[in-house]
Amino acid sequence: MDETVGPSEMIVHLGPQHPMMPGPFRLNAKLRGETVVDSEVEIGWIHKGIEKILENKTYLQGITIVDRICYLAALTNEEAYVGCVEKLAGIEVPERAQYIRVIMEELSRIQSHLLGMGEYASFLGFVSMFMYTIRDREDVMSLIDSVTGARITHSFLRYGGVKDDLPEGFKDDVKYVFGNLRKAIDNYEELYRTDDIYKARTANIGVLTADVAKDLGVSGPPLRATGVDFDIRKDEPYLVYDDLDFNVCTQTDGDVFARIQVRLDEMRESMYIIEQCLDQIPDGPLFPEDTPYGKRSPVMRIPGGEVFHRVEDPRGEMGFYMVSDGSDRPYRVKIRGPVYPTLQALPPLLKGVKVADIVSIAGSMDTCTSEVDR
Amino acid sequence: MDANSIIASLAGKFPDDIYDADVQSEIRIAANVKPENVVEICRYLKEDLSFGHLCCEFGVDYPDRNEIEVIYVIGSYEHPVILTMKALLPRDDPEIESVVPVYWNANWYERETYELFGVKYLNHPDLKPLVLPKEMLGEWPLRRDYEGFPNKTARNLV
Repeated sequence: MDETVGPSEMIVHLGPQHPMMPGPFRLNAKLRGETVVDSEVEIGWIHKGIEKILENKTYLQGITIVDRICYLAALTNEEAYVGCVEKLAGIEVPERAQYIRVIMEELSRIQSHLLGMGEYASFLGFVSMFMYTIRDREDVMSLIDSVTGARITHSFLRYGGVKDDLPEGFKDDVKYVFGNLRKAIDNYEELYRTDDIYKARTANIGVLTADVAKDLGVSGPPLRATGVDFDIRKDEPYLVYDDLDFNVCTQTDGDVFARIQVRLDEMRESMYIIEQCLDQIPDGPLFPEDTPYGKRSPVMRIPGGEVFHRVEDPRGEMGFYMVSDGSDRPYRVKIRGPVYPTLQALPPLLKGVKVADIVSIAGSMDTCTSEVDR
Repeated sequence: MDANSIIASLAGKFPDDIYDADVQSEIRIAANVKPENVVEICRYLKEDLSFGHLCCEFGVDYPDRNEIEVIYVIGSYEHPVILTMKALLPRDDPEIESVVPVYWNANWYERETYELFGVKYLNHPDLKPLVLPKEMLGEWPLRRDYEGFPNKTARNLV
């Protein structure tokens, strides 16, 4: 951004600490009157150097580290990391473990969307909505907790399987929670559709068209809200997504309202996926038989090679590129987070909007600075 | 469009620049590319082979070979194939043309590769540090022989 200001222009810094932001990043906006003429995003306040740390940790220790990339998507981060190693070492995951992974990752998608949506409503001043979604999210968190033993940083996936089996009575718990959650999501949708103030602040605001969104490299709900059905679960199926029946939720408007609607629909779709999984899940071992995986702390040496594995994160396309040189720790890991291009696309999106809409547009992207900075 | 025809089309169009092309599976292809012509190749990929989605761009350091690899992982919205394209640069003076004119979102990836590996991107619109403080420029922390980890980096935080 050009730092020189003309007559009746000024530069306003939003952040790095700002109520709108789920993590510290700074938005420098150049204003002419009430209108944004140019803007720039600065990041790096919580750069953790996870890519460097992973080079210095063994493969098993790495699982714990990738949890910390973004606590809302810890399970999908693990899936991307573990999937890389499984592809390199040629480990086959037993079917039961695959189903458990799908269940957990979809649960984590639901809780991430619930938080993202509630937080977004609170950015607009609709704080009661935040309280509603946090209340319902807690039930989902308890479900995850009952399986993994942790609320946000799970370290649940292992090479070739998962740490634990589903607990007794899990199916009934899910049934109970989903009954309430379905009603709650219908409620949210009705609130959103009937609230005039909410509509005025979201409809036709921050419109992305499909071509522009593709050009900017945006993925996940912001892209699907423009009508592009790009979803890794369908386009490059991993785990057992091939055998499951689900739709890719899309909208055509591409505005803020559509992005929230996509998230609402995706939560319903996730619940449908989980119910299918619980009906179809076969009995069997959690780790491939006659292998050391699943025994206590094996020292793993992974065959040399390079692999790119991507999964569908709650926010979009999560990919890991791993280079292995045959030792017990990765040679290089590149984390391609979904929010990184989304946050980068803010300045073109904010050009020409009013100051009051900055929060509405930036919040609707469901950014996670922890993941951008890594 | 399947993996074999993509490789054939690419190697046919740029016979001098693409080498070691390899079909790893139905949805993964890899190729090495000469650094001089990388923008032209990216433009061809995007416009003619519908590789419209740059997944990521990053560096890998190989001190024993005295090389830095810049890797482009390019996907598509129309077909499931992902191309991994590598450009090999000398470690003492890594320089490569920026692909921002073709892939807009390469901007941040290139700024990050610059500050972490020291790869200089020519004709980049705004090549400055992204995630690191300005004082750390020149240390290239993600190179394999970086010695500041973890002591130096931890001290910076205090």
